[in-house]
Amino acid sequence: MCNVLEYKNIKIVYRRYASLFFVVGIDTDDNELLALEIVHRFVEQMDRMYGNVCELDIIFGFDKAYHVLDELLLDGYIQESSKKEVLRRVAQQDELENMDEFTSVLA
Amino acid sequence: MAPQMKGLTQFIADLRNAKDTEEEQRRINLEINNIHSKFSGKVNSYDRKKYLCKLMYIYLLGYTDQVDVGVRESFQLLSSSNYSEKQLGYLAVQVLQPYRQGRVKDFLVTQMEQMHSILLRDLKSDSEPINCLAINHIASHYRVNDGTTIGQNDDTAPLWQELVDIIYSYCTSPISTPIIKSKAALALNSLLKVFPGLQNNWIPRLLTLLDNPDINVMTSSIPLVEMLITQEPRYIRSILPSISRRLYAIIVEQKCPEDFFYYNTPAPWLVIKLLQLLERLFVSQKPDGTPMLSIVDFDHTVLGELRAIVAQSIQNAGQPARGLPNRNSQSAILFQSVSLAVFLDASPDAIDGAVAALLGLIDSQDTNTKYLAIDALIKLTRRSTGLESRFDSRMPQIFQLLYDKDVSVRRKALDLICTVCHAETAPNIVGKLLDYFPYGDFSIKQELALKIAVVAETFATDTTWYVSTMLRLLSIGGGYNANGNSFISHEVWERIVQIVVNNEELQPKTTKLVVSLLKNPITRTNTDPKKAPPPPTGTPESLVKVAAVVLGEFCNTVDPEQSFRVLYDHYFKVSLVTRAMLLTTFLKYLVKFPDADFIADIVDLFEVETMSLDLEIQTRAHEYLMLATQPSQEFKRHVVRPLPVFVQEESPLYKRLGLDARRPGARANAVAAAAARGAVEAPNNVVNSGLTPGWQAGYSRMLHYDAGIFFENQLVKILYRIVKDHHQITYKFSVINNAGKSANTVINGFTLLSIDPQCDNINPSYVITTTESPDATISTKTSMEHVVKIRHIVENNQSPRMTITFTCGGSFNQLNLKIPVTLLRSLSSGGMQISLDEFNIRWSQIGSQLGPDAGERVTEATIPHRCNSSNIVRLLTRLGFAVVQGSPDDAMPIEVYGAGILNTSSSNYGLLCKLTSIGVDGKTFRIAVRCTGGGVAEIIADSLREVLMAQ
Repeated sequence: MCNVLEYKNIKIVYRRYASLFFVVGIDTDDNELLALEIVHRFVEQMDRMYGNVCELDIIFGFDKAYHVLDELLLDGYIQESSKKEVLRRVAQQDELENMDEFTSVLA
Repeated sequence: MAPQMKGLTQFIADLRNAKDTEEEQRRINLEINNIHSKFSGKVNSYDRKKYLCKLMYIYLLGYTDQVDVGVRESFQLLSSSNYSEKQLGYLAVQVLQPYRQGRVKDFLVTQMEQMHSILLRDLKSDSEPINCLAINHIASHYRVNDGTTIGQNDDTAPLWQELVDIIYSYCTSPISTPIIKSKAALALNSLLKVFPGLQNNWIPRLLTLLDNPDINVMTSSIPLVEMLITQEPRYIRSILPSISRRLYAIIVEQKCPEDFFYYNTPAPWLVIKLLQLLERLFVSQKPDGTPMLSIVDFDHTVLGELRAIVAQSIQNAGQPARGLPNRNSQSAILFQSVSLAVFLDASPDAIDGAVAALLGLIDSQDTNTKYLAIDALIKLTRRSTGLESRFDSRMPQIFQLLYDKDVSVRRKALDLICTVCHAETAPNIVGKLLDYFPYGDFSIKQELALKIAVVAETFATDTTWYVSTMLRLLSIGGGYNANGNSFISHEVWERIVQIVVNNEELQPKTTKLVVSLLKNPITRTNTDPKKAPPPPTGTPESLVKVAAVVLGEFCNTVDPEQSFRVLYDHYFKVSLVTRAMLLTTFLKYLVKFPDADFIADIVDLFEVETMSLDLEIQTRAHEYLMLATQPSQEFKRHVVRPLPVFVQEESPLYKRLGLDARRPGARANAVAAAAARGAVEAPNNVVNSGLTPGWQAGYSRMLHYDAGIFFENQLVKILYRIVKDHHQITYKFSVINNAGKSANTVINGFTLLSIDPQCDNINPSYVITTTESPDATISTKTSMEHVVKIRHIVENNQSPRMTITFTCGGSFNQLNLKIPVTLLRSLSSGGMQISLDEFNIRWSQIGSQLGPDAGERVTEATIPHRCNSSNIVRLLTRLGFAVVQGSPDDAMPIEVYGAGILNTSSSNYGLLCKLTSIGVDGKTFRIAVRCTGGGVAEIIADSLREVLMAQ
């Protein structure tokens, strides 16, 4: 099956990982194959973060999924294409959160 | 990973275990009530986060109208100084309060009023992660897609302006980290869409983001750069070298940081975005309708690099891929390069290579590759001329794609077939498409019918062929899709009627054909024995409609009895709309053949239909029945007058397909526009308010010296050399890094931002082209070169301004310099020797031909220092005159005569001048100029005066 559908004035690019579907809407003059690879990169990064990501990880930790996405894409544009860097930033955020927990426990 | 919130996990689990919507709804209501009561009391930070997460989850499940309770609490979290609370606060605002309904502007204003102080504080915070949160929010929350903007007079304008200023400074500050810069570039892009509050002189600084060595910064700044360039197209040439150099480094030289390789492909996202940017600039137009970018805007170096990039990408795609992600990104780059190739005036060989590479891919096992290869072929063919016939031999292969298992591929294949169709292949292609029609999916049939109609009309050389083809289409195109829409849109049959009514010689043929097709529908022979016979179709309704109109009008060209029977037989098989049309047709038959046998049937039918449940049919039947029983034949004939000729020029089919112009025409226009434009930008765009201090010395020097220093400050030194060749003058510059000697600093992002000729751009007096661009990074020196072609008389105030930007040691610099392009610069003597007598004869010749007003100009100039006769001779020789020394060095007054030819591409002018000193100090001179061109003497005299004064 082709992973691209033309829909109204956008193109829909989707990719399936087991029971998970990732769907992206892109402009008609955008590059479809690369949109597929953005999905792949997103999944890879979640895979690293959750450790073999599955549907439940995303459902129960949806805020984390948002964080990864926010570091990868910003306003629909790719912002950080290096895999390590995104994870480094998410890890940094986690660290900051842990610090906060620590401070609040002490207080 | 931060510890999970237990209550949240339990809540999600509860919802997932819900047996039905009702239970889910109950659980949610319970939770909302709980949150309501919790939020009205005192809540600690943990609970506040937990409840907001629950609300977000509820929102994400689709219960979007129940979460307003969380809004106030989100702001509470945002005001916290704790990072995790702040982070969740931003997430909550984004998830719970996106634009949902009402005026976009109201949404923007409310959000800005609520968020401004928080954003401001976070932007100014010392913590980079907190800055990032605020910038992320600005980039993603204020996106509008409907063109709503906040104007300068809106109440919230100062708030927006403040944010724009801060984000701008993040983009350009030398101390911002790459992370901040790339986020800020995207944020500024979204912000400026809402609030266009950017000062024009900021643009050059922002464009230098493209020169940033960090791959992410460059990638993220592309959308911003695209927007700025679209606003100010005159900067377009300045960014081309940066783009090509980076692409060249990545694709051809394979230079890319390890982290940015994506499965062995270097920086695919950056590459694609840059290629896309170039392509979009080629495709889009300036406000005056000329293309934003055309081939004449490139200098040789850049063009050469880009062609190498495209060639390399096409070659790379042929190499075996390592895994799917590698193949996808390689193919993505291939497709992007191919669609750019056409604009680069690639050689026919290169285009052939691209076509061959793509045709190789349409047999690919991978559906995506197949689909996109077809798509790329369509683009390629549409954008170039005369490519269609190269597909002739591959047509069987392409037709095979119509039977592909994937519907997207089938659709694209249909597009491709219609795109590569040309006059010679059209009949064959239309025939094959008609054969295919019965096999086509329901979803594709409507488009297929429309496409057949358009192709048939576009390439029809023979009207009979056209009509028979179209009627064949209508005859096999009966039936409806699931929504009850006919496969054949009404534009198709209406167009046939228009053409038949407007062409008298077609009428008898059409009527005969219609009757025979209705009597004996085309029995579809199975053309391909491998395939199952096509499913039967219903009554060809559109054909009946054409018949209703055509036979009603022209029934006198066929046997009336037979044609009436055919229509009558179909009456009860067709829809109500068509029946109403047939009633009118029958009325026409009744009027035209008052004595025929079938009149009784018509009257009976009218009578029956007066009882119809359909109002339209009942009304028509009733009125027609009354008419039929009218005794006056004269009156009836008045009612059914012949149809007038249709006046509509443009085919509605094109409109339906969204085609505004045919391909070759569009291409030719674009080319013509580019050619007419030459290489000149609009003159009215004065780049700068003023020129850089110190410009004058170099400018004056250049007026008469052929080499020297053009400009110098602590950072750079620019040397020039001028080479003249008749009307063509080459300005060669070398830029030397002055800072390198003293402080060992490299100059970065050295960009020729613009070079604006100050002449009329419709018929410019000269054309300036950059033939060599400077290197962006200068450790010691670089060079650039412009060629000026003088087309006709250049006025003295038309010299171009050149704007250069660069960064050095973190500081951003802009130079605005004026290069002298004057008519006097085109002077040559052609090595002629002239004697005093000859000079005097010519002098009086011009005087008598043109008269003193048009042919002569006298002015005076004072030179700052004392000159003797030889000084003036050298000066005039430098300018290109053949000189006659009228007085010896020690004599007074000094008299020097010069003769020469002014060269322009439209014509040449003879020029004579006399310099005579006034007084005894050898400083003040009388300049007398005579020239064969009317009005030219004045221009030259002024130039000479300027040169003398600057001595």
